[in-house]
Amino acid sequence: MALLRGFLWLTGFWLLGETLVVLLGLPVSAGVVGMLLMTGMLMLRVGRLEDIAAASQPLIGLLAMLIMPGVVGVFFVADDFAGQWLAVAVALVGGTLASVLTTLLLMRRFMPPEPSAAAAKETSS
Amino acid sequence: MSASLIELREALLATPLSAIALTLAAYLAALWVVERIGRPSWCPAVLLAALLVAASLWTLSVDVVDYQRGAGWLMLLLGPATVALGVPLYQQLHHIRALWKPLALCLPPAAALASCYSLTLAWVLGASPEVLASLAPKSVTAPIALGIIDELGGSVPLLMGGLLITGVMATLAVSLLAAPLGIRDHRILGFALGINGHAIGTVRAFEMSPAAGAFASLGMSLTGIFTALCLPLAWRLLGL
Repeated sequence: MALLRGFLWLTGFWLLGETLVVLLGLPVSAGVVGMLLMTGMLMLRVGRLEDIAAASQPLIGLLAMLIMPGVVGVFFVADDFAGQWLAVAVALVGGTLASVLTTLLLMRRFMPPEPSAAAAKETSS
Repeated sequence: MSASLIELREALLATPLSAIALTLAAYLAALWVVERIGRPSWCPAVLLAALLVAASLWTLSVDVVDYQRGAGWLMLLLGPATVALGVPLYQQLHHIRALWKPLALCLPPAAALASCYSLTLAWVLGASPEVLASLAPKSVTAPIALGIIDELGGSVPLLMGGLLITGVMATLAVSLLAAPLGIRDHRILGFALGINGHAIGTVRAFEMSPAAGAFASLGMSLTGIFTALCLPLAWRLLGL
């Protein structure tokens, strides 16, 4: 039943996110608000991490499959954006190369050298 | 005979379970093929699965809108799945505490530029406002990007295609640029993969090392949050 309890937490936080988005008119999606609230709640040590993790891990593993129906649509909109595909391709390829280069340069400049002991130890409980 | 076949077709199209079965079958088949050809980074399983679904729809002459109405039952899970991303974020918090200064210096410009470079290029080449809105959240993980696109009013299919190409390009770019820049630190490579290549880059980072994977998922969540909070506001201020 840990899975069900965890799923209820996740659904509940999504609904809480939606409530805040509607009431406060936030320009953010309910999922993001729910995610931030979830992180905050876990930091306060409220709620059982085992329950929430039992529902979260399989869902996160399924993310690629969940977005796939959305990807299918791209093969059917070719005509809607006729004449713009060159702009789209250049923007995606060029823009991504440039932003990866910027990120790497920024990180090389500001990251402190790797301490040998800090080989990221997972704190999954 | 053909009358009853048409009736069967109508009955199967009426239930969302056909779309769900098609989605699951295509995804599992794609996973199997991708595993067989040695998981090349230029061909994520999602891309292959989407091609399989598109080919099936075309062969059976089913309208993509009908398919997506059924598959919407699956995509409903994206809401709780986005909330679920809070768990790995919580588990990575010790990295943020230890390295908050370099992360705070690097993340906002990196995440903002990931969007700005592409928007500028697309705008110069004369893309329409709808295309610009669809490309703006291209470095954000899909469930969060779908929430952003609701606010900006772009095209969901175009966004999804853009996400896919961005993920693949970011993975290629990191492996191409790491050596010439002399970067061997897996924390930096992982973070760059997560910021620019969202989930696709994060998968690649986990193949490099657990440390790279941890920093990639951190980069992915922080970029998602930063972009989700700032992009709709920036869009409003620019009057787009």
